[in-house]
Amino acid sequence: MADKETVIGSDTRISGEVRGEEDLVVRGRIDGKIQLTQTLTVEKGATVQADLDVGHLVVLGAVVGTIVASESVKLMSTARVVGDLASPRLTMEAGAAYRGRVDMGDIAAARAAASSRAVQRPAVSEKPAIRPAPPRMATLAKAIVATKASAPVAPAAARSTVTPSASVPAPASPPAFPRVAGAMGAMTPAWAKKKIRRR
Amino acid sequence: MANTVIGSSIVIDGEITAEESLTILGTVKGKISVAQNLAVEAGATVEADVEAQTVTVNGRLTGNVVARERLELKPEAKMVGDAKSPRIVIADGAGFKGNVDMDV
Repeated sequence: MADKETVIGSDTRISGEVRGEEDLVVRGRIDGKIQLTQTLTVEKGATVQADLDVGHLVVLGAVVGTIVASESVKLMSTARVVGDLASPRLTMEAGAAYRGRVDMGDIAAARAAASSRAVQRPAVSEKPAIRPAPPRMATLAKAIVATKASAPVAPAAARSTVTPSASVPAPASPPAFPRVAGAMGAMTPAWAKKKIRRR
Repeated sequence: MANTVIGSSIVIDGEITAEESLTILGTVKGKISVAQNLAVEAGATVEADVEAQTVTVNGRLTGNVVARERLELKPEAKMVGDAKSPRIVIADGAGFKGNVDMDV
């Protein structure tokens, strides 16, 4: 039978390991691990939370995980990517959001490093080292204003949540995470907010 | 059409949940849950427990199948496992080993 293109539809979710030697288009969701010799395309609206070892990678949606591409990586304007990235070629469109380390040097070494890390930790909990995102230039001014406005408010709210009782679950009203209530909370996109941890 | 196709060189080890139709030409191991039609095409290998509205098999399927509406084994199908469905069609040439439960 003639080879059909592999498509993971928008209402499909896969958790586990995907391997293959053809192009793969994700419109839905994949959690786990993807190993592909050809092109992986993560469409707009799609979410891939996986360690990737691919030939080419094109991202229009969201990717969280360690990325190793033996040929190229393209982050389009709608892309949202968190995780270390190794590829000999990398293009990033204006508007793409990325956080992580880029290595355009020795791919074999990067792949070995990525796989050894995957062995040490279970694949599902494999998350990239996360640092606070550098502010995007366009949102910088807005963010500074937001910081000034929210700075005096945040500590007060934090104090009020801490004082009463440790056993009762946090009340719904205040900013539940005073840690991120400052500048970071103001300028981090919602999709990345839950990933942020202070080390 | 927003359906899912697993190509012939693709190997998936894990769980697939689809609120749409799923066509498998490659290899899937684990668990499959589909809201609409599941098609296991000729040349495909599925080792999984399957649940779907309708299941059409023309490849190799090992595992228990629950088809809420209809299960069809085409001439090239080879199926091993228990089948549960109100309507079951087995074509001439198909291979099947397992229990049949048609809710009688």
